[in-house]
Amino acid sequence: MSAEEEENAAELKIGEEFLKAKCLMNCEVSLILEHKYEQLQQMSEDPLNHVSQVFEKSLQYVKRFSRYKNPDAVRQVRELLSGYQLAEFELCVLGNLCPETVEEAIAMVPTIKSRGRGHDDDEAIEKMLNDMSMIKKFE
Amino acid sequence: MFREVECLSHVVIHSKDLNTKGVCPTSSVVTNLLKQLTNLKAYEEFGYVLGVTKLKAIGNARKIGSTKYMFLVAFNCRTLLPMKGEVMIGIVHSISRYGVFLKSGPMKIVYLSIRKMPNYSYVDEGKPMFLCNDMSRIEKGVVVRFVVLATRWSQRTRDHNVLASIDGDSLGPVATAGLDGFDL
Repeated sequence: MSAEEEENAAELKIGEEFLKAKCLMNCEVSLILEHKYEQLQQMSEDPLNHVSQVFEKSLQYVKRFSRYKNPDAVRQVRELLSGYQLAEFELCVLGNLCPETVEEAIAMVPTIKSRGRGHDDDEAIEKMLNDMSMIKKFE
Repeated sequence: MFREVECLSHVVIHSKDLNTKGVCPTSSVVTNLLKQLTNLKAYEEFGYVLGVTKLKAIGNARKIGSTKYMFLVAFNCRTLLPMKGEVMIGIVHSISRYGVFLKSGPMKIVYLSIRKMPNYSYVDEGKPMFLCNDMSRIEKGVVVRFVVLATRWSQRTRDHNVLASIDGDSLGPVATAGLDGFDL
């Protein structure tokens, strides 16, 4: 019970076992599940009969809400965000929600602010967001 | 949040699946594991299971009853587990005067109470909706960005139910221009 009360993603308290887990952005999951779906399409005329409802609903969800569709763009976003000393969870939330301003980024991922960031770091966050926006623009 | 995690699960094999030497082939364990995951849909600790990515280890058999054996299997899989404090996106599918229900991926019950929709009020002029002071609206089919206040595991339906809130900056209905896709 106490472990569950302490868990709060907004404070990056996400449990020991999930600190070791790799987090995936919606766009990455979209590529993975679409590839799997295409493999099933080649094997069967009705691939939906061969996947679980969880798979089907998840595929619909990530296809609709992925901000990046191109595999190269997805890789670039992962590489870009990996260079900013973010936790896996923070990286994926930013990649999923693509905030447009520093204030919005801090609202989505409050733990960015808790690391004592000053004006220079706000500039770094702004540059990160601008770079993400550029990847989207030229995708 | 989508993750790739290591899971442990017990898999039950019937003695008829053993080969002539009394050994259970790995393929039987894997097949039964995959059937089990499809039927179970989700785990309380790991969330909704999307697919197995790697088989890590199969433990020794333990006999249960006269015709069945149980194996402890360790495997990596992709899962979706909602976390308290995480910002997610959902689509409104049901409205009452007390709040709305959203669906988000495989999760069907994401409840957003009117108490957590500041400045919104219920309006029903033929089409029920929640209307904000700034004229933004939350109605059926609208995409909403919300924060997870709490989660609860339902053993009966094997679902993670979520309590949501839009009381915060950058939360609420979002424009989805360019985000086309299937209806969920």
